[in-house]
This record gives sequence, C-alpha cells and structure tokens, in this order.
Amino acid sequence: MYERRELMYAGHQACAGCGATMSMRYALKALGEKTILVIPACCWSVLAGPFPYSALQVPVIHTAFETGASTASGIKAGLEMRGDTETTVAAWVGDGGTFDIGIQALSGAAERNDDIMYFCYDNEAYMNTGIQRSSATPFGTWTTTTPANHPKGQPKKNMMEIMAAHRIPYAATCTVAFPEDMMRKISKAKAIRGTRFIHIYSPCPTGWKAPSSLSVKIARLAVHTKIFPLYEVEGGERYNINVDPKNLPVDEYLRLQGRFAHLTDDEVHTTQETVDREWERLVKKALD
Amino acid sequence: MPEQIIFKREEDMPYLPITFGSMAWNKTGTWRYLRPKFENKISPCIEGCPAGQDIEGAMVLIGKGKILQAWDLFKEENPFPAVCGRVCFHPCESSCNRGEFDEAVSINALERFMADMASRHGRKPLGKREKRKEKAAIVGSGPAGLTCAYHLARLGYGVTVFEALPVLGGMLRVGIPEYRLPKKVLEEEIDQILELGVKAEVNVRLGKDFLMNDLKEYQAIFLAMGNHQSKSLGIPGEDTQGIMSGLEFLKNVNLGKAVALGKRVAVIGGGNTAIDAARSVLRLGSKPFILYRRTREEMPAFLGEILEAEEEGIEISYLVSPVRVIAENGKVSRLECLKNRLGPADEDGRRRPVEIKGSNFFLEVDQVIAAIGEEADLSPLPKKLGLKENAVLTDERGATRQKGVFAGGDIIQQPRTVVHAIGSGKRAAIFIDCFLKKKKWEGLFEAIRIGEQGTLSMKRYLQAENERASLSSKTVRLKDLNLDYFDYKKRKKMPKTQVAKRVGSFEEVNQGYAEETAVAEAKRCFNCGVCNLCDNCYIYCPDVAILKQGEDGPNVIDYDHCKGCGICVEECPRDAMVMEEERR
Ligand SMILES: Cc1cc2nc3c(=O)[nH]c(=O)nc-3n(C[C@H](O)[C@H](O)[C@H](O)COP(=O)(O)OP(=O)(O)OC[C@H]3O[C@@H](n4cnc5c(N)ncnc54)[C@H](O)[C@@H]3O)c2cc1C
Ligand SMILES: Cc1ncc(C[n+]2csc(CCOP(=O)(O)OP(=O)(O)O)c2C)c(N)n1
Ligand code: SF4
Ligand code: SF4
Ligand SMILES: [Mg+2]
Repeated sequence: MYERRELMYAGHQACAGCGATMSMRYALKALGEKTILVIPACCWSVLAGPFPYSALQVPVIHTAFETGASTASGIKAGLEMRGDTETTVAAWVGDGGTFDIGIQALSGAAERNDDIMYFCYDNEAYMNTGIQRSSATPFGTWTTTTPANHPKGQPKKNMMEIMAAHRIPYAATCTVAFPEDMMRKISKAKAIRGTRFIHIYSPCPTGWKAPSSLSVKIARLAVHTKIFPLYEVEGGERYNINVDPKNLPVDEYLRLQGRFAHLTDDEVHTTQETVDREWERLVKKALD
Repeated sequence: MPEQIIFKREEDMPYLPITFGSMAWNKTGTWRYLRPKFENKISPCIEGCPAGQDIEGAMVLIGKGKILQAWDLFKEENPFPAVCGRVCFHPCESSCNRGEFDEAVSINALERFMADMASRHGRKPLGKREKRKEKAAIVGSGPAGLTCAYHLARLGYGVTVFEALPVLGGMLRVGIPEYRLPKKVLEEEIDQILELGVKAEVNVRLGKDFLMNDLKEYQAIFLAMGNHQSKSLGIPGEDTQGIMSGLEFLKNVNLGKAVALGKRVAVIGGGNTAIDAARSVLRLGSKPFILYRRTREEMPAFLGEILEAEEEGIEISYLVSPVRVIAENGKVSRLECLKNRLGPADEDGRRRPVEIKGSNFFLEVDQVIAAIGEEADLSPLPKKLGLKENAVLTDERGATRQKGVFAGGDIIQQPRTVVHAIGSGKRAAIFIDCFLKKKKWEGLFEAIRIGEQGTLSMKRYLQAENERASLSSKTVRLKDLNLDYFDYKKRKKMPKTQVAKRVGSFEEVNQGYAEETAVAEAKRCFNCGVCNLCDNCYIYCPDVAILKQGEDGPNVIDYDHCKGCGICVEECPRDAMVMEEERR
C-alpha cells in the first residue's frame, strides 16, 4: 500500500512532527483518487494551504465547524443524483468538531446510515485555536483552558461506543504508529456502504508539549499502555481487537509529554486504574 | 517547482475559491533548525571480526537469497570463509548486538553455508588487478602466509610461498583434524589462491634449506612460520617410548601416517591441541582421557570443542598434573600424578594450580600424548629483526625492524587463532603494497580501519579516496537501536552427525544449514548501523520529504521541505540516521 501514489504533497503548513498529516497521508493512500474530502474548521483547514493552493490532490470542501457530517451527506446525495456511486465522500474532522460541536450532525448521518466515511483525527484538544480542552481531552491534561493547577477533571468521552450504539456498519480506531493497520481498516471501510467511522489518534507535538521527533513513539506507547487500543466494531456489536498491547505502565506514555508533567503519583494511579477498567470492558465485548 | 500564482486582474479570479496549484512552492525546509542525515555506522560484528569481513552486508544479501554475492563480499577480505566457517572461534558473534537481546546471529554457520554454496557452484574469487613487476616471498603456508599471498597476488605482485612441510596449509592442514575441517574443503580454498598465480615450494625450510639472505630477489618478505615446537613436560621419564607430543601425533594422523597407540591413552593439556588429540585418539579406536592441571573454567580450548568432546564421552580429569613416567620393558606403563588445588591468579588472570603434597596416584597407560603448548622456532631469524619472548616484534603495520620484512600469525604477539592469523596476513599485504609503491601509510589507518580493534577493510583500501564512503567512527550498540522494531527469535542450530557415528570415523561433525534455515537465520540480523531500506523514514515522514529512488535506493532527503521534526531519526530501527544542527 505504501507504494501507492502520494495524494498529499510536501509544502503543507503543519507543525514539524504533526500526526494529523501522517494520518491524512495514509488515509489518502488507502482511499485513492476518487475521493472528495469535507473539512470543517480545524488544523487541517489551515494545513492544506490558502486559496488558490492545496497540498491535497483530491477535491476538498472547507466548511463550517459543526457541519462535517451534514456537508458530507449533502455531497453524497448530490453525487447520487448525478449517478456517481463510485466516489468516496469523506468528512475529515478534528476531535472538537466531532466529540463536541459536530456530534449532532454526525449522529444524524449515522442514524440515517448515510453512505459516507467519517474520519475523526483526534489530537485531544482544539489545537487550531490554541489548545483549548475538548471532550476528547483526557483526565488530568493541561490545556490553555485547563491550566496545570486546575487540569481537566473529566475523563475522555468514549466516542467509539457512541458510534457503536448507532449500529453503523463499521467503526474502527487506528493510529500513526501502525500505518499498515490503519490503511487496512480504511480500505476495508471504503468497500462497505453506509456510515463508517474511523477514529485516528493523531499526536500533536505543539499542543502536547512533546518533542516533534516522538510523535510515532508516543502513538505506539498509547497502544501498548492500552490508553488507545486498536480495534474495530462491525454492525455496532462485533468487536475485534487488532493489536495485542504489551501492557506497559501508563507512566511510560505520560512522562514523555509536557501536558502531563504536573500529574501527581495519585493522578497517574487514577489514570492507570481507569485505563485498566476500560480495557477489561473492551476485552469482554471482544470475547462476547 | 510550481510558482506562486498571482491574479493580476479581478477577471482572473474564479467565481468560487478553488485550487489552481499545489503547495510545493512553500519551502518549509526554511523552518528547520535541526537536519536529519543518513549516516551508516560500524556494526559491532565487523569490528569484532579480525578478518574484517562485511558481515552485515552479507546478512542482507543472504536474507534476499543472494548467497553467492554474499560470499563475494567475504572473499574480498578473506580467502578462507569455508575454513573459518568451520574452525573460527567467531569473536564476531561475541560482539553481535543480538546476543544482548536474545541470542547472537549465527554468523559462523552462515559463513560456512555461503562457502559451501559457492563451492557447489564452482564460484571463484575475483581475479587480480594490474600486473606489477615486484615480487614477494612468504615463509610458511599457514593461514597468515596464504592470506598474505592471496591479497598480494590480487594486487598484482609475483608471490612465492616457501613451506617446510610437504603440504600447504600450516595448522589447518596438519593440526586441525579432518572431522572439524575436511582436507577437501581446505584444498579447494588453497587451490583458489594458487590459481591466482601464487607459486609454492614445499619441503624447503628456512634455516636449513635456505637463509634470509637467499631471498634477495624478493623486494618484500612476509614471515609466518607459526608455532610448531611442542613444549616438553619436563618430568622424569619423558623420553620413554610411548610418549609423543600432541602436535606430532596430529601431524602424523593428518598426513595419513600409521600411528600405533595401544588401548589407554592419556592426553595432557587443556588447549585445542589436547582436545583435538583426544578426539582423534577416540576415532582411531583407543580410549583417551584428558588430564588438565587447572579446572574447566581456565581451559584455553574453545568451549564448543570441550562440549563436543564431552558429548563423545571423553573423560576430562581436572586439577591433575603428571610428575613421572614409569616404564616397563622400555615402554611407558604407568603415569604418576599429583592432585592440585587452585591458588591465586596468574599474570593472565587465570588461577594457578598448586600441588597438594602427598596426593600422588598412579594411572595405567599405554600411551601419553603431551599437548601442553607450542612455541615458535625463531632460530633461523636474525636478531636485528626485533625478537622478544619467543615472538617477532612488529609495529602497527606488521613490519619488523628490517626494511621490507613483515611478519604475522602465531609468531607475532597476538592471539593464536586462525582468524587473527588471517587478519595479520591481510594487514601485511596492505602495507607491503604501500611499501613497494612508496605510498605514505600514516593516515591510511583512519580511512580503512573498521572500529577500534584493529580490523582493516581491503575493500576500502582498494577504493580510490574519492569513492570511499565516509565512515563514521561510531560503533552501534544495542542501546542505539530502536528495539520496538525487533521481536525475539531463537537462533537456528546447525545439525550434527550423531555421536555413535562420530566415534568410529573422521566424518565431519557439523553439518551445514539448509538454504531455508540459512535465509531465516540471516534475517535475524538487525543490520546495526547500516540502512537496509526498511523505509521507516519514508513511511513516517509527515512532510513526504523522504524520497525513494527505485528498489535499491538509497533514499534521499528533500531538504526543501523537511521541517526537521526528527521522526525519521527516532524511528530508524538501526541508528543509520543522525540529527545535526542546521548551519546557517
Ligand atoms: C591442534 C590445533 C588446533 C587448533 N584449532 C584452532 C581452531 O579451531 N580455531 C582457531 O582459530 N585456531 C586454532 N588453532 C590455532 C591456529 O591453528 C593457529 O593460530 C594458526 O594456524 C596460525 O597460523 P600461522 O599462519 O601463523 O601458522 P601455522 O598455521 O602454524 O603455519 C605455519 C607454517 O609455516 C611452516 N614453517 C614453520 N617453520 C618454517 C620454516 N623455518 N621454513 C619454512 N616453513 C616453515 C609450518 O610448517 C607451517 O606450515 C589450533 C592450533 C592447533 C595446534
Ligand atoms: C462555530 C465556530 N466556533 C468556533 C470556531 C473557531 N475554531 C476554529 S477551529 C477550532 C478548533 C478545532 O478543534 P478540533 O476540531 O479539535 O481540530 P484541531 O484544530 O484540533 O485540529 C475552533 C474552536 C469556528 N471556526 N466556528
Ligand atoms: S497544532 Fe498539532 S495538529 Fe495542528 S498542525 Fe500543529 S502539530 Fe499538527
Ligand atoms: S545483529 Fe547483525 S549487524 Fe548487528 S552485530 Fe549481529 S550480525 Fe552484526
Ligand atoms: Mg483537536
């Protein structure tokens, strides 16, 4: 799959080491040229470049923050009217645009089972506007709206379960440290009809206060500490875990990132407990 | 590179904001303050191989099924891969990073596999370069002498080897037994050296049949006479009939002479000679037992050999010293021995045996083989060469104090092994070439040395200065690797002939790898410090700034767009990239 044509070009505007751009590159390799992207307000609105340029070699429609899914549904309907059943319509949305402001449009599309792909590249905060917390931001995280002396007190929302509850045909998690797994899942999703949800964990060195060189390493640790397990859900109920985590302590992951530097041992412990509990729940579903 | 697009008039503007060009004009490389760079480093195995073979390179080739090309790489440095693949004590494997991770790559077995494959295909080493008029004489045809001959011949010189024995090969031919190194295998590699035009005169001994002064027609001389004098036991009764040195015994067996042994044979000593002698005795139908004055810990023989001897049921008694040979009818019948305990350590760090008074006991024996060490016979050499403690003194080039006279192998101060002998033969060839061409050699070491242990590369020596890739001085260690990319995998074992079959014959003990096993084993190699085009850099680059150039690479970096994030360097499994500060 790697040898497929590059549909994302150099010259884009992302920070050095940006996971969101790696995610885009793999996704487009898997999706191919016959793809239309819908990008609501987020980092990627800027990364692609200003008018009249684009770093992406597929058509892109920039749209309002809360309208990723609804714009995609509309474009799909338009294409169908014109007899085009082949082109993939994909919403490419940040975590703020998915977990928070865009959840209504997404839920609507999923409930109708509109024939779209929906990608959430998750950097766990509103990065484009300067690192504000979102409901995807994990417990204990520093952001500009949750400062170190008052870090985020709530855990990350479980978006995959919300999507599974819609009983859509396919939902999957993936991340940049496992590009083959990512491209396999996206190719598989592409061949399915209906609403398909792909949750991509995308490290952000700038917002996470981490060295740019560690983006892949951090993503790999997220999987091996069970913080971000890689799995797929078919029909909203058939769970399948794709990568066996090495079961490393969460501290190995947390200590690489400045956004967690203030955490006390107790808070690290709480994180570990939450992670273990969530993992057990997931394993139970996968065994069902 | 597409230019920036400028709309000169309002009419040029589209009705809707649509795309007219890519972002490639945006040279994000200007954001960079650190710069990634491909930089191959030294694999510890190559540094650890005194013959300087490109092990890492060969592992890549074997992994791709290119076995004969891998052999070519080895043969560039060493004329004896088939020999080394059988008898070398493989210091490369002790240096292998994989050893610290799970188990070292089985480099030695793979070396043998390549050589056996090359032999089946009748593959020959690359021939000589330009012909030169100068001639070199080599005294002694062991691995040191023949390696020097091989490289000098390939450099174009006329070479004559003078050998005291009727056969070529030194200890490889008359010391190491057939079951470890079949004569056929050795002869094939020696023939390849002779085919390069090397002349050999046998049955001529320096000091007896000719003198150093008789070699005036040669512009350079390499001395490699090895250690062929056995040390004596120094106990009463030593010259009784039925007492023989280990070397004499092995020489006779290896030359196909009949040796009468009797039933019970005591072999005295703990080195390779003792083990080889005992195992040969067993194969001749007698019952050997080894007497060693210290414990197994201190035994100088290679561990693998000791284990195989034990497998074959050879009894080894430790902490025993013979003190007297007792004869009956003029022939040895009993050996009086003493028990020892271990005392404080010697200069070499091994604990010294101390005799226990009154612990005398007697052993019934029909034959005693004394294998307590060999030394050099330097009597034919003039003092002015520089001799010390039974060794010829040499400088870092292998040169003696006499102009144009070089020395190597067991007669110089270095470990007494086949691969060290080979390394010293190659080194002498390089510096004889410099000497004959009157080339400056100071500074050359930096260019052709691989790592810090004295290993030299013939390949680099033969390259012109401008085609020599710059070589990092850093040897890659396990901590430098990104272990997330490597999984535990067991080392593959070589099959062995069954013990029952071994005991009655001189059939080779170790049987080589099958091709499938060899390829799988070579793929265990981490390729420490050397880019093997795994493409991690290309795959992970967020800026599509690593460019591939076809199947065989190398990958290149698009510095116009690389932002210097450093992911490629971090994710390179084998430390083949570095990050440098950007010079502006
Ligand atoms: C029994 C035995 C087993 C060994 N097993 C191993 C092993 O498994 N692995 C390993 O790495 N090492 C082993 N060694 C050590 C290894 O064989 C030597 O280190 C190596 O052969 C030294 O090479 P060389 O070229 O210096 O000398 P040699 O191999 O000893 O060759 C010297 C040659 O010079 C000739 N010569 C001597 N004097 C004269 C003269 N005056 N004029 C002309 N010719 C002369 C000799 O006849 C001989 O052929 C073993 C040694 C012995 C004795
Ligand atoms: C209705 C509306 N509110 C606020 C904004 C400002 N805004 C633009 S991008 C952004 C944050 C996007 O966050 P996320 O979706 O997580 O994407 P990221 O920037 O992190 O990639 C915000 C708040 C907007 N464009 N529209
Ligand atoms: S802020 Fe983060 S997500 Fe946005 S471009 Fe920079 S690294 Fe990428
Ligand atoms: S893993 Fe390969 S390159 Fe590294 S030391 Fe071992 S044999 Fe050499
Ligand atoms: Mg975000």
